[in-house]
Amino acid sequence: MSIIKRISNRLIDILLSIWEFIKKLWRHPKGRVGLIMVLFLAFLAVFAPLIAPYDPYDVTQRAAKGLSPSWNHLLGTTITTGQDIFSMLIYGTRVSLLVGLVTGIAIAFLGAILGIIAGYVGGLADNTIMRIVDVMLVIPTLPLTIVITNLFGKSYFIIVLIFVVFGWTGLARVVRSLVLVLKNSNYVKASELAGGSRWHIMTKHILPGVSHLLIMNTALTCAGIMVAEAGLSFLGLGDPTAISWGKMLADAQSGGALLFGHWWWIMAPGIGIFIAVFSFMRIGLVMEEILNPRMKASSGIYKLFKTLNNTYIQEVFAKMDEGNEDLPKGEAL
Amino acid sequence: MSDNLPIVKIENLSVNFPAKGGLPFAKKKYIQAVTDVSLEIHKGETFGIVGESGCGKSTLANAMIGMVRPSLGKVTFKDKDLFSLKRIEFKEVRRDMQMIFQDPFSSLNPRFSVYQIISEPMYIRGGFTKKEMENRVLELLKLVGLDEKDLYRYPSDFSGGQKQRIGIARAISLNPDLLICDEPVSALDVSVHAQILNLLIDLQEKLNLTYVFISHNLAVVKNVCDRILVMYLGKVMESGSTKTIYKNPLHPYTNALLSAILDLDIKREKTILKGDIPSPIDPPKGCRFWQRCPYAMRGCKDIEAPLIEVEPNHFVACHKISGFTEEQIAQELDRVLVHHV
Amino acid sequence: MSNILLKLRNLKVIFPANQGIVRAVEGIDIDIAKGECVALVGESGCGKSVTSLAIMRLLNTPPALIDVKEINLDGEDISKYSETKMQTVRGKQISMIFQDAMTALNPVMTVGKQIDEVYLKHNNISKQEARKQTIEALRLVGIPEPESRAKAFPHQLSGGLRQRVLIAMAFACMPKLIIADEPTTALDVTIQAQVLNVLSQMQRSHNVSLLLITHDLSVVAHTADLVYVMYAGKIVEKARVEDLFKKPHHPYTEGLLGSIPRLSDSKKHFIQIPDSVPHPMFKPSGCYFHPRCKYVTDKCKELMPPLVKIDKDREIRCFYPLNVDKEGKL
Repeated sequence: MSIIKRISNRLIDILLSIWEFIKKLWRHPKGRVGLIMVLFLAFLAVFAPLIAPYDPYDVTQRAAKGLSPSWNHLLGTTITTGQDIFSMLIYGTRVSLLVGLVTGIAIAFLGAILGIIAGYVGGLADNTIMRIVDVMLVIPTLPLTIVITNLFGKSYFIIVLIFVVFGWTGLARVVRSLVLVLKNSNYVKASELAGGSRWHIMTKHILPGVSHLLIMNTALTCAGIMVAEAGLSFLGLGDPTAISWGKMLADAQSGGALLFGHWWWIMAPGIGIFIAVFSFMRIGLVMEEILNPRMKASSGIYKLFKTLNNTYIQEVFAKMDEGNEDLPKGEAL
Repeated sequence: MSDNLPIVKIENLSVNFPAKGGLPFAKKKYIQAVTDVSLEIHKGETFGIVGESGCGKSTLANAMIGMVRPSLGKVTFKDKDLFSLKRIEFKEVRRDMQMIFQDPFSSLNPRFSVYQIISEPMYIRGGFTKKEMENRVLELLKLVGLDEKDLYRYPSDFSGGQKQRIGIARAISLNPDLLICDEPVSALDVSVHAQILNLLIDLQEKLNLTYVFISHNLAVVKNVCDRILVMYLGKVMESGSTKTIYKNPLHPYTNALLSAILDLDIKREKTILKGDIPSPIDPPKGCRFWQRCPYAMRGCKDIEAPLIEVEPNHFVACHKISGFTEEQIAQELDRVLVHHV
Repeated sequence: MSNILLKLRNLKVIFPANQGIVRAVEGIDIDIAKGECVALVGESGCGKSVTSLAIMRLLNTPPALIDVKEINLDGEDISKYSETKMQTVRGKQISMIFQDAMTALNPVMTVGKQIDEVYLKHNNISKQEARKQTIEALRLVGIPEPESRAKAFPHQLSGGLRQRVLIAMAFACMPKLIIADEPTTALDVTIQAQVLNVLSQMQRSHNVSLLLITHDLSVVAHTADLVYVMYAGKIVEKARVEDLFKKPHHPYTEGLLGSIPRLSDSKKHFIQIPDSVPHPMFKPSGCYFHPRCKYVTDKCKELMPPLVKIDKDREIRCFYPLNVDKEGKL
């Protein structure tokens, strides 16, 4: 099969497995909540111009500075520029989600590919990749980010790039350990015996085997990245023209929100970050429960026991006595 | 039934693995998993390899199918030296030998449907249309005693015995010549052993297969195998035709295995071994069984016992059985020591 | 009957799940006499392990629901004991040997320390005294150089040695009853013989009762005095070991015995029981064994046969038991 066909087949498999997860998530009550929240945030991000009452980027739509929340401005306006905070909150979803998802997915790709190659192919490839991982883990990312943004300008592109370049290492390690276990499965051996090429085994057996782990890890990574991005924006390393929750916090602090008691200016981005991170973590944790059936059982069983009908249980026990009447001595024969 | 053509020929096979751990500058230690094993398997026969954990039977089987490269020696399959073939021919030749694994639970990919599992070898080989593959899988399901409606179900729906049948169907899908059964029933319920073993016996007749049957259960091996090899710590202790060995087991280890069977009706003199199975790292230079052998003589730990044909089709590697006395061994020991100095 | 150590009466255990109820144990009675080795034989899914955990009161509710009339240990009904009181019973009056020594032992504690713990918990002695007894226990089970072995960690010992450590732990406080759940299944054949030997010897010399849970009838033949055969949660046959092997009454027992490959066999084919054990959630109507029984009749498909006592120590659950002569006697 040609390379293009191979890759497109693989992408289709990946999309199908993602659809599987969405279905599984939906069935799980907690997962459903997380899924709905994420979809809600995505909706906000995509349709921000239609939902937000004002366009915070539009200089002509500024109002009076430092307004308290009112019907006109649900969360008031900023002290420094008079932008509507509620609209900023909504537009902020774009940056957070974009940075979070793009980084998360890029890390998933890199981490998965390199982890699988390191684990399955082994040998020189494994050694090289793992040494790179070791080196990268040692380099402190924050000072590096500061240096690079100073050199190349502050932008989210740079931030995402640094996150991705340094973030794949953790995932690759974890994936590699799982791959080492899967490699020894008998069905992989059987496939090798039948003449399966490395590509075949890695895509058909190993990749699906780590897919649960990938998705769970990606959800949790996205959550973490969003917090990290907020932090970096707070420090001023992000794009100064974009609207991000972290930057809102920075502005709120420097603009004297605390001083003037404009708690809504601080709370708004704070709640935004919280909701975004919470929803992704919820998905990640639910995935972990699904992955690990033992965890699921313990929470489900308590619920099940609460709803058990006692008379039914007694009936079940009583039915077991059928045929257990007092043991007659030899008469039944 | 068997032509005199050996389908598999193993000559002086040794497989050593470097032992992990140990200090960086210490002398490298090796696990001698298989040492100097030679055997021939004839077409259509069932060849048994018997021994306990650490004896090297799995490594031997893995070397036979090309899963692990030998450190010394040669593996010949259908007149071709397996490890000197080019990659493509190697894969091609290897398709004619397949394996059934011990643990039915890990031998099937839980994400694959039964159809996908059984058709995978055909899919890999290529050249089959979807219709052809489906028909063949249905045919195989029938052969192993499973139902048509199982085609798109998943392994978790099946019992251990049924999983094993799926594994068997997969193994025979490309009509192999050689089938290696690595403890095929050890992980199954006792009442299911007979079913699977009978299935294997039937399939051998129908499809003219050659089996290598690995087990630690001598009672099962007796009924299924034509010739057997008894291994201990990587070396062959006794080999020959099943009938002769069971009628007249000679090696002390073979006797211990037979005693351990806890058989229900034969009152055999029990040999209960003392001590544990030693580690295969840097095994003793002499007979590897000497530490647990109830008949060990003074030279046994220094001089290896060669495999000697004590009666037609019956080989034993034991000084005492071969008739050596302690003096003869001591002489041999002196000779060897002088030679090395 | 004062020489009966354990009287288990009408034990029922179920595990409710979303798809249905797993009926693991359906009302069984077991009697174990003092100093006797009783075997509980059955295959995977028949409920024998659950039974052993239930006797030790180690089954948690949830996920299990237990209904039992009596668990009488030497005159006392322990089924109603609180958890604190049970902790004084476990280890001292009943102890257990699990199948997988690697998971039964704490990997980060030396084996000596683990056995010391058993002594210290149940006796008021000093640490040195406990260690002395530990070394003696290790010696008794045949572990060479017990003083140095006591300082080893579980992963440094071989499978056979680990199992012996478990046996030493179980016998440490000289309990009245030891429950051994598949104690030798994971071991090599020659090691299995050794360990069973030790177990048997220890049991007889210290007059301890042993409840041996296994699927391997050949182990039973050499170690047990009395056998209970279990199928799909119910006892289907009870007999003394010689009687069971000579004249099994239940078709399942006959099938099990027939499917054991013997050295004396000369035929090429094995006797097999068709199909497999029923799923504990979806059991057949009538007699649970009827789909696999070659003597099945219509009555078997509809009614569950009662467990009938033919003789002292002889019970059978079958409408048409085998090897029974016309008067219904043995």
